[in-house]
Amino acid sequence: MIVCVAVVGHQNNPLYIQSFTEADDALKLHHIVHCSLDVIDERVNNPKKSGPLLNETFLGLLYPTENYKVYGYLTNTKVKFILVTTDLDVKDADVRNFFRRFHAAYGDAVSNPFHVPGKKITSRTFAESVSTIVKAFGLSSAG
Amino acid sequence: MEEYPEELRTPPVALISLVGCSDHHPAISGHLHSLQPPMNVLALPDFSKIQAVLTKKAKEPGAGDPPSGILKRDWLLKHRTRVPAVVAAMFSSAHVSGDPAQWLQVCTELENLKAAARPRNIKLVVIVVQSSSADDINEDRMIALRKRADVDSKYLVIYTPSDASELKQSLNRLANVFVELANTYYRDEGRRMKTRVEKKSFSSIELNIRYCFKVAVYAEFRRDWVEALRFYEEAYRILREMIGTSTRLPPIQRLVEIKHVAEQLHFKVSTLLLHGGKIIEAVTWFRQHNASYKRLVGAPEAIYLHWEWMSRQFLVFAELLETSSATTQTISSVTADNPDRGLTEWEFRPAYYFQLAAHYLKKKRSSLDIALSMLVNANEIDGGAESVAPSTFVGQFARLLEQGEALSFQPIDDEEYIHYALTEGKRFQDSYEIIALFNRSYESYSNLRVQRMGSTCGLEIAKEYFLVGDFTTAKQFFDNFAHLYRQEGWVILLWEALGYSRECSKKMGAVKNFVESSLEMASLPVSSDYIQSLGFKECGPAGPPSLPERESIHKEILELVSGELGVRSLEETNDLNVTEGNPLHLEIDLVSPLRSVLLASVAFHEQTVKPGASTLMTLSLLSQLPLTTEIDQLEVQFNQSEYNFTITNAERPHSTSKITSGTQNHRVETAASLSLVTNKWLRLTYEIKSEQSGKLECISVIAKLGPHFTIFCRAESPASMDGLPLWKFEDRVETYPTKDPALAITGQKVIQVEEAEPLVDLNLGDSGAALVGESFMVPVNIAARGHDIYSGELKINLVDVKGGGLFSTRETEPSTMDGHHVELLSVAGAEWEDESQKEAEKINNIQQSFGLVSIPFLKIGDTWSCKLEIKWYRPKPVMLYVSLGYSPHGNELNAQKIHVHKSLQIEGQNPVLISHRFLLPFRRDPLLLSKMKAVSENNQFTSLPLNETSILILSAKNCTEVPLQVESLYVEVDEDCVATSCLIKPGSEDLAHSGLLVPGEEFRKVFMVIPQVNSSTLGMGTVCLRWRRHPGSGVQVSCIQEDSVLTRHKLPDVNVELAPLTITLECPPYGILGDPFTYFIKIHNQTQLLQEVKFSLADSQSFVLSGSHNGTTYVLPKSEHILSYKLVPLVSGPLQLPKVTLTSVRYSAGYQPSVNASTIFVYPSKPHLKVADQREGRTESVAAK
Repeated sequence: MIVCVAVVGHQNNPLYIQSFTEADDALKLHHIVHCSLDVIDERVNNPKKSGPLLNETFLGLLYPTENYKVYGYLTNTKVKFILVTTDLDVKDADVRNFFRRFHAAYGDAVSNPFHVPGKKITSRTFAESVSTIVKAFGLSSAG
Repeated sequence: MEEYPEELRTPPVALISLVGCSDHHPAISGHLHSLQPPMNVLALPDFSKIQAVLTKKAKEPGAGDPPSGILKRDWLLKHRTRVPAVVAAMFSSAHVSGDPAQWLQVCTELENLKAAARPRNIKLVVIVVQSSSADDINEDRMIALRKRADVDSKYLVIYTPSDASELKQSLNRLANVFVELANTYYRDEGRRMKTRVEKKSFSSIELNIRYCFKVAVYAEFRRDWVEALRFYEEAYRILREMIGTSTRLPPIQRLVEIKHVAEQLHFKVSTLLLHGGKIIEAVTWFRQHNASYKRLVGAPEAIYLHWEWMSRQFLVFAELLETSSATTQTISSVTADNPDRGLTEWEFRPAYYFQLAAHYLKKKRSSLDIALSMLVNANEIDGGAESVAPSTFVGQFARLLEQGEALSFQPIDDEEYIHYALTEGKRFQDSYEIIALFNRSYESYSNLRVQRMGSTCGLEIAKEYFLVGDFTTAKQFFDNFAHLYRQEGWVILLWEALGYSRECSKKMGAVKNFVESSLEMASLPVSSDYIQSLGFKECGPAGPPSLPERESIHKEILELVSGELGVRSLEETNDLNVTEGNPLHLEIDLVSPLRSVLLASVAFHEQTVKPGASTLMTLSLLSQLPLTTEIDQLEVQFNQSEYNFTITNAERPHSTSKITSGTQNHRVETAASLSLVTNKWLRLTYEIKSEQSGKLECISVIAKLGPHFTIFCRAESPASMDGLPLWKFEDRVETYPTKDPALAITGQKVIQVEEAEPLVDLNLGDSGAALVGESFMVPVNIAARGHDIYSGELKINLVDVKGGGLFSTRETEPSTMDGHHVELLSVAGAEWEDESQKEAEKINNIQQSFGLVSIPFLKIGDTWSCKLEIKWYRPKPVMLYVSLGYSPHGNELNAQKIHVHKSLQIEGQNPVLISHRFLLPFRRDPLLLSKMKAVSENNQFTSLPLNETSILILSAKNCTEVPLQVESLYVEVDEDCVATSCLIKPGSEDLAHSGLLVPGEEFRKVFMVIPQVNSSTLGMGTVCLRWRRHPGSGVQVSCIQEDSVLTRHKLPDVNVELAPLTITLECPPYGILGDPFTYFIKIHNQTQLLQEVKFSLADSQSFVLSGSHNGTTYVLPKSEHILSYKLVPLVSGPLQLPKVTLTSVRYSAGYQPSVNASTIFVYPSKPHLKVADQREGRTESVAAK
């Protein structure tokens, strides 16, 4: 199950962060997302480490925490998408697929002429589509 | 890792026992210790002890029963300190070869030793100590000894300590024997255990694990890491399978034992993997270990034991990683190699494991707290747990019973065990342990420059300090890490950190910090819509971030600063309040996080203003505080304090007390309302009347919010104002600080007050181009048109137009005036004649390119003038800047000065171009050898023949645009070349004409030069041209000094040499058609040698000639040979004389006269040249000379 998704801007500032848990761990998820930026920085600054993944938007598994797995995605405009999931056995293809759809939703949201680039995303439509994508991810990995 | 016994932490060390001859034990054991790998030595002084050591304990009677544990706690220690692999019996040679009684004793001791060692399969070595090399040992006895000991001959070692080299040899021999035998022993033991494992000849699964463990340890003894690893892993695997099946112990203790054993096995495996450099395998192994035991939480009442165990796993692995050198070197390549294994970078970093260890320890603490709170009576339990201690088996605990002397263990049930564990758990200060772990993680992250993970650890540290009540340290940490969140705009995380920090300040009673944190929190961009799921507990003392929470914090602060309510802190004595005795003053600068609390922007409506005029200034205030804030009073401060003014709130007339005590004549404005609405600019516009010229800058705005609370806010220009760092990511309405949007973009908090318009004329006379060398005068006129001039000062500046200095430091340009190309010589004042004694004072300061002159007092209508005398040393255009500073009012001391500036570009020109030319006399040619050679070389020097007259023509061309008067032109011979070296005489005494040179005209003068010294570089001296501007040339007269100027031009050096041959052609000046004349060719030999000269004369159509056409002639030393021809011209006009070619054989040099030299004019009949007679004669004389 996806517990948290986030969009992080150029200056590593959160543009959108949404958790999908019932438990009181949203703050912890904030911390996890924030920490995962370190890994993205490291991957982006030392691109040779990722070898064949050069020019790849999907950054893969960023780091495993106690109960979560964190995946990252970096768009061409250096906006970062972060996904936190509790599933310990996730297929890369599923995550890629998720990010692709998420990226599309993000693209739609920032294409709104009333959206100022670099500001937080407050669009309700975006929130709805994200939640649909998140739910779909749960179904596909379950099935 | 430190809590593990040493024998577990370090690889096993073989043990050797030495018996007898105790004097030699230290030397041998020292040597064995220093081996690589080392060996431990169990030294026994005499043989009686060995039996006690080696005797095997009798097995428990019921050997067939399943054992009561998996691994014995002291088994490793036993092999390290008590059970040797090899026993070495040492006998002195004296005893061996001594009398029968001694020999008998040796035999007995040996027998006893054999008996003791054999059951344990311990290897035996016999050492015979030879006290001196001279001692001979009885061969028979030696053989007998070996037979008795039943050892191979190489295990009977003779030890000779007497000689250093022999000692070394003996020690090495001994060491080799020991290593070999120890290996055999451990191999045999290992093999024995291995067969048991392979044949499955064990009664229970515990024994299986134990045997595997033993095989692995024995393999480690032999440094057979591969086998060791294999069997450890095997033991680990069997153990994991055992979890569900074993029923031997009560459930909780069963799990505890298994975990303990698993921990040991895991530790061994990880150590072996890491030491083998297999970091990926080690990390993967740890992951599996973690995965397979993570879920084995166990009974709910003992859950904290699980967390403690988990924490220890992480900690130990972190420490292993940290100490393993392989980690740091290969980490990058490791991750690159294994992208598909699912391992990420951080799993190779100890910091990650430290962090998780701390995390599990926190979990342990919280479950321990729950477990403790469930106990009804803790004290009662304490009593019962006293006698419980770790028992013989790893991971088992039992009650220790004293039965007389003997101690025995009695199994305990789970309840007892839990009680025991709780009392143990209570003894530890988990918080400090957690802080230490987080700290290690934090440091490790900081070393890697991983900020965010580090700050997460830092935050955890701070929370722990907060929990234990160390608020000062906690606050420090919270504030440090809040900075990162603030920087990156993670508002929720910042909220949490600030909430803790605020609580710390509250507990510490620090009002200022409390208010600062509170205000910052209240002004954070937290909206309620996306925090839906943040629980209250999770967010620390501040509660979940939301708008109502912000409002309540703001309200609390408003009440606090208004003095209505003191916020109670924990300690009753430390009430937080803001009173008269305890006023509060906050400062907000350009980088303060409190800028969102109060942002002050100040913009003048104009950029410059005339003195005395008034301009408008807009003061705008913005606050992001959630509630409307009422400001009592505002004070605006400027860099010139007389402009400061105060704005009071009309709605609060009672609060007009002064913020700053001081000047009474303070300007006070009243504003209708001073309430700050969230995210809305409060704009106040006031008029400022400027008085003094200069910069007027608004420095700060001080807002007074309550009777004793002020905020000092630095003013910012709207043009250069940064957005609020946290709010700039928010989707909010942004408005301009001023009504006029253009002003919001360009507005400045600084205004320039201009100086008054000057009413004085400053004129520079334009005098055209200056000539190098002359003293050039520039007239300066000052006319006081509308102002009196008090304490006027004239500043004069000379600046190179091209930007380079007027100054040349190059060594190659010799200059008389310190390399200055243009120099300001003096200022000559026209008005100073009457008071000449003051002149020196008035010219305050004249430097090469700068001058400062005081101007006397001038009334309106007065004029004053002076002349600047400037001299050029090089042709260079120069900018002359003159600026006059004066004050129109004499009485005020600090009156404003008014400045007038003027500038003028002046060209510097070379007045004349001096050139020179050397000529040889007409139709006379010396043979100059250097000329012949120098065809290819680039010879700069002109060559002149020695003792011959040469002609020097000097010409000076006027390159200016004004006529010049040349006064004289002469050559000054250098001082070092005395007159004898070279004789230079002017060809004529007087100037050819008046010496007036119009622009472009050339002046020439002829000199005769007779070099008298044979020198390759003869200095010719300097041409001196004395000139001045022609007085008749109009307007410049006034500014040109009458003195004439001397321009010097250095002549280049010449090469003087002796010509060996000189050829002179002689013929009449003209010929007459049909009239014969004689043509002489004179060859003068100036050498001491006979010269052979070949000559030839070509026929010419214009002449009939008589004489030999060609031939060879010899010219005697120092004499002259004359060839003469009679020529009759056949045609008239300029004719070429028959061509003569001379060749000097000695110098292989040919000579041909030039076309000029061999041309003659033939008249048709005899001419009558009366007028030209005089001139003709002169030319002849020149030629003759």
